[in-house]
Amino acid sequence: MRKFKRIATYTFLSIAALVSIFPFLWMLVSMTNKSVDVTKGRLLPGTHLFENFKVLFESVDMLTALVNSTIIAVITTFLTLLIGSLAGYGFEIYRSPGKDRIFNILLLSMMIPFAAIMIPLYRLFGGISSSMPFLGIDTLAAAILPTIITAFFIFFFRQNTKMFAKDLVEAGRIDGLSELGIFFRIYLPTMKTTYAAAAIIAFMNSWNNYLWPLVVLQSPENQTIPLLISNLGAGYSPDYGVIMAAIVIATLPTAIVFFIMQKHFVEGMMGSVKG
Amino acid sequence: MKYFQYRKTWLLMLTVVTFLVLAACSSDDANSNADGGEEPDKITAWAWDPHFNIAALEIAKEAYSEDINLEIIENAQDDIVQKLNTGLSSGSMKGMPNIVLIEDQRAQSFLQSYPDAFYPIGEYFNTDDFANYKLAPTSLDGKQYGLPFDTGVTGLFFRTDYLQEAGYTMEDLTNITWQEYIEIGKDVKAKTGKDMISLDPNDLGLIRVMIQSAGSWYVEEDGETVNLVDNEPLRKAFENYKAMIEADFVKANSDWSQFIAAFNSGDVATVPSGNWIAPSIEAEESQAGKWAVAPIPRLNMDGAVNASNQGGSSFYVLDIPGKEKAAEFLADTFGSNSDFYQDLVLDVGALGTYSPAADGEAYQAENDYFSGQTVISDFSAWTEEIPSVNYGLHTYAIEDILAAEMQNYLKGKDLDKVLADAQAQAESQLK
Repeated sequence: MRKFKRIATYTFLSIAALVSIFPFLWMLVSMTNKSVDVTKGRLLPGTHLFENFKVLFESVDMLTALVNSTIIAVITTFLTLLIGSLAGYGFEIYRSPGKDRIFNILLLSMMIPFAAIMIPLYRLFGGISSSMPFLGIDTLAAAILPTIITAFFIFFFRQNTKMFAKDLVEAGRIDGLSELGIFFRIYLPTMKTTYAAAAIIAFMNSWNNYLWPLVVLQSPENQTIPLLISNLGAGYSPDYGVIMAAIVIATLPTAIVFFIMQKHFVEGMMGSVKG
Repeated sequence: MKYFQYRKTWLLMLTVVTFLVLAACSSDDANSNADGGEEPDKITAWAWDPHFNIAALEIAKEAYSEDINLEIIENAQDDIVQKLNTGLSSGSMKGMPNIVLIEDQRAQSFLQSYPDAFYPIGEYFNTDDFANYKLAPTSLDGKQYGLPFDTGVTGLFFRTDYLQEAGYTMEDLTNITWQEYIEIGKDVKAKTGKDMISLDPNDLGLIRVMIQSAGSWYVEEDGETVNLVDNEPLRKAFENYKAMIEADFVKANSDWSQFIAAFNSGDVATVPSGNWIAPSIEAEESQAGKWAVAPIPRLNMDGAVNASNQGGSSFYVLDIPGKEKAAEFLADTFGSNSDFYQDLVLDVGALGTYSPAADGEAYQAENDYFSGQTVISDFSAWTEEIPSVNYGLHTYAIEDILAAEMQNYLKGKDLDKVLADAQAQAESQLK
C-alpha cells in the first residue's frame, strides 16, 4: 500500500513537472527548427540552430537591445530596492501620526492599472522633454523613472521589517550611529534574503516590462528585448524558428539571476508570508 | 480633537493629490506648441513587417529623386496602434513620427478621434490614380489624409493537385459563388479526405471578405450607424459560414502560426485570403507547382462581385514639423512613380493600388511557384473591381460582438435573433 502511494505520488509529480517544463523544452527544440517545422509542431531537434541565430543577428540589433534591457533592469532594480526598502523601513520603524493612512493610500494605488496612468504620464514626459531632453521621451531614463517607486515593494519591505529586531535600532542609536548609519550598517546586512527576493522580482518585472517602454521608447537604438521580440513576430509571415532563438536569449538573464539567488528567494518569500 | 486633526490631514492630502494630478494633466500645453516652427533634420517613419512595408519604404528611399534623411522604424502593427493612441491622446506630439502606416480598417478611428493630428496630403498627388475603394477609408470630410499603399485584394488560393483529384479544374473555381464553393468542398473532402479551409473561430476575416464583395460592411455608409440586423450580405455570409462548419471540411486554428501550418503541411485544399498570404504559401518549397489562384467566390445575390479586400494599409503624415518634406517624399514615390512600383512587385512582392503601374512589365510576369500563372496581373485586375465601402470607426469592436454571436448561431440560435442581439449590443456599446 505504501509503495503504491509512493508510485502514485511520483507519477503525479512527474506529470506536473513535465507540464511545467514542456514550454521551455518546446522553446529549446523550436529554436533548432525551420519556421515551417515549428508551425507543424515538430518536437524533435532540428539542424537549423545556427541558421536561426545567423538570421536573428543579421536581421535585428540584438546586442543593442540586450545592453538597453540590462541597463534599464539593473538601474531599476537598484533604485527600486533602495527606495522601497528606505520607505518600508521608515513606515515600520518610525512613529508619526497618520502614517497608516498614508500607507493605505499607497496600497490603494496598487489597484490603479498602469494603462490608466499611461496617457498622463506620457504627457508629463512630453512636457519634461522640452526643458530636460535627457529625461524626456525616448530616453532610457524615461523608461526607468516611473517604475522605480512601487507600492508593492514598499509593502513588501514593510512586512519583512516586522521581523527585524527593533532593539538593534536602539542599540545602534546608543552606540552613536546616525539614522542612515543604522539603516545601512545594521538593517541592510541583516535583511539580505529580503533584498535578494525583492531583487529577483524587480529585475524580472523590469526585464519583461513591455507597455511603458513600448510607448516611451521610439528610436531603434533605445529598443529593449521585449519590444524587439514583438517586432519579430509582427510580419505577415513571421519566422518562428528565429523568434524562438530570440526568446531563448531573452529568457537567459532572468533564469541566471533566479538560479543565483534561488536559495535567498525562497527564504525571502517565506519571510514575507510569515510576517 | 484628535479625530478632527485626522480629518484635516485627510483633506490636505486629497487636495495635494488632486492638485498634482491636475498639474500633471494641464502643464505642457504651451510646450507642445512652442516647438512648432523648427524643421527637423530627419524624417521618421513607423511601419511593420521588415519583409513587406519596411522593405517597401527602403526601396522608396532609394527611388526618391531628392536627398532625404529618412529613418525607418520598425514596430509591430498593434504596437503602432498603442503608441499612436497614447501619444496623440496625451496631446503631446513629442516622439511621434512624421510618416506612419495605418491599416485601412483602423484609419477612420484615428482620423476622427484626432482630427488635428494629421496633415491633409491630397494636394501632393492625384487621387484619381488610385483604386477607388482605397480612397474612402483614407479620407475624412472631403480631405485626403492617406496615401494608399498596398491592396489587400483577395484571391482563392487552391491546391491544384487536390482539386484535380476530386475532378475540378481552374475553370470550375473561377467566378463561383460561396454556395458552389461549399459544394465543391464537400466533394473534395469526400474524394481526397482533405479539409477545404482553415478558420479561426475568433477571427471573422472571411465574413468581412464576403460582405465587402457585395459592397456592404458592419456599418452603413456614414461609417457610424451599426448595420447588422437588416444587412442581407451579412445574413448570407453567416449562412455560408455555418454551412461550411456543418459540411465538416473546416480545420480549426487558434492563431496565425496554426493557420499557416494548415496549408504548409498540406492539410487544407484552399486558402481564401488577401494576396499578402502568397509569401507564406511559397515558403513551403516542396509544394511548388501545386498551387493556383482563382478569383474569390462571391455572395449569391445581385451586385456581388468576385473581388474583395482583406487588410491593406496606407501612409499618413502627422501634422508636426517636417510634414511638407514627408508629404513630398510620399508623393514623389508611392504617389506617382510607376517604375518604383515595378521594383516593389519584383523585390518585395508588394502590390500597390496605383493604377498606372499595372501596365508595367513586372506586373505581367509569370510566377513559377504558381505554375506560370500571371498572379500579379490577375490580382491587379481584381483590385479594380473591389467595391468601395466605408469601414467606419468600429470594425474590430463590432467584430468582437459578432464573433461571440457567431458561436451562438453555430450552436443553433435563430439567425434573426443572432443579428438582432448583435445589433442591440453594438448600438448600446458604441453610443
